[in-house]
Amino acid sequence: MKLPYYPGCTLKDRTSQLETTALACAEKLDVQLEEMPNWTCCGGVYPVSETKIVNLVAPFRILKEVQEAGDDKLVTICDFCYNVLKRTNLIIREDSVKRTRLNLFLSDDDRRWAASGRRVGEGQEYDGGVKVLHYLEMLRDELGFEAVAAAVSKPLEDLKIAPYYGCNLLRPPLEMDLDDPEDPRIMEDFLGSMGAQVVEFPYRIECCGSFLSLSSPQIARRLCHTILESARKNGADAIMLSCPMCFYNLEQKQSEFARHFPGFRPMPVFFFSQLLALALGLDPASLGFERNFADPVPLLKEKHLV
Amino acid sequence: MAAQRKKKKRADATGKKLEQQQKLVPIFIMGQRHLVPDSLTIQKAMEYAGYQLVRGCGCRGGICGACGTVFRLPDSYRVEVGLACQTVVKPNMYLAQIPFFPANKAVYDIEKLSPTGADVSKLYPEIFKCVGCNVCTKSCPMDIDVMEYMARAIRGDVAGVAELSFDCVMCGLCAARCPAELVQYNMAVLCRRLYARHIAPRAQHLAERVREIEKGKYERPLRALKSADIKDLKRLYKEREIEPEMAEEDWTPESNDYL
Repeated sequence: MKLPYYPGCTLKDRTSQLETTALACAEKLDVQLEEMPNWTCCGGVYPVSETKIVNLVAPFRILKEVQEAGDDKLVTICDFCYNVLKRTNLIIREDSVKRTRLNLFLSDDDRRWAASGRRVGEGQEYDGGVKVLHYLEMLRDELGFEAVAAAVSKPLEDLKIAPYYGCNLLRPPLEMDLDDPEDPRIMEDFLGSMGAQVVEFPYRIECCGSFLSLSSPQIARRLCHTILESARKNGADAIMLSCPMCFYNLEQKQSEFARHFPGFRPMPVFFFSQLLALALGLDPASLGFERNFADPVPLLKEKHLV
Repeated sequence: MAAQRKKKKRADATGKKLEQQQKLVPIFIMGQRHLVPDSLTIQKAMEYAGYQLVRGCGCRGGICGACGTVFRLPDSYRVEVGLACQTVVKPNMYLAQIPFFPANKAVYDIEKLSPTGADVSKLYPEIFKCVGCNVCTKSCPMDIDVMEYMARAIRGDVAGVAELSFDCVMCGLCAARCPAELVQYNMAVLCRRLYARHIAPRAQHLAERVREIEKGKYERPLRALKSADIKDLKRLYKEREIEPEMAEEDWTPESNDYL
């Protein structure tokens, strides 16, 4: 299976371990994810204002270029990119004014075509025909979790994992339409396919504070601390998530938690792709755990997974 | 006197002949109509029309980037760009040269920086305002995919910026038209410097060469030249080996005493 792939900026820089592990797993699962030849930032955040059309230009172009290349699907890994691209695609399909205006704006992107050595797409209009897939969704719907289970060589049997969804995968629910927004199963089923023990906890779809960790760090810290402690109280060894922003708030920021929450013990946080890589038998030394603040290696050693 | 008159007459005739040969086309320089020969570049056309260029004119060879020009044509809505020294006039073009456009430049010590997105964004934090409109790319007279290198900067790919922006002549047209008020070309030169200082492999043959020179490889030939009299110097100069105009790529001189 060959699918075009949009990495997003964060996966090329601050959380490159998410990309490298996800791509290594895809190879192992016989899925060829082909990075788009040219791409820009998707914008990071979907514009809240309905009249702010300029922020839709970048995601619109990304989707348009997928169609121009003759594809009808696009895989993303970052939850923010997934959210922006999927919602942009929907608005292109549903709002004819925005669709027309964006198509007009990009109808003379000829210098970009020249620079990229392509002439395809000139004069072509984009209608929202590309299906945007999150990597987890690709595993569930394109490959099937049964196929993932069949490829697992090192089941994560003794690992008690609390899946954490955050916001961008699921909300706004009518637009994202990935899973039940109140009782999602995709992460649980994914963990099940790898043989891990799923720990359910009440904060799995709460917000981590997102960008508040920069503007009002104390609020994000409190939210994240509640999430981590709730997972722990429910018996989790570690948390699994898919979003680079949540990883920053829930993992990297743990370095500050001891100072603000006396008695706090660091808790390992995994990207879903790191756990998948472990289960597929990839070299644990290549999964980027050295970039975690809360070192997950002792836990993995205890469970005989490294 | 007669001879001079004759000469002048002849000159006038050639002038007229030239004008007859040359098709004149109207162009509008900052709104004013001028008739200029259709074979001239914008730069030469401006001089033909009587302008004396004291700014916005440098190498005249398409390298220095001093003569960025914007123009419009009557049958199109588009803003066209070009270097005045490289772009041939078109009938009825409306043009203005942008000899200088303010653009802030970060101050840094290259030795203290690392070639990472984090360091680039510390010096140019506004790059994240880019919305991907692609007007910068459309405004580049060097056909650089400016938006793409800005995208590389945003994702921390310093080497990518260096490579994609290599042909930049710093004319500033991208910065002039950017709706996010970015200074693309100054950010790009930072990346090229970071690339050169911290990513590109050091040139081993250069170090080798410096060692050779320091060891005195050229001492003797240089001393010989310094002590030679003028007659000998002239002879040496005339007899020197010159690469033939149509030389093959692998041409090498017979003597490399001075190389």
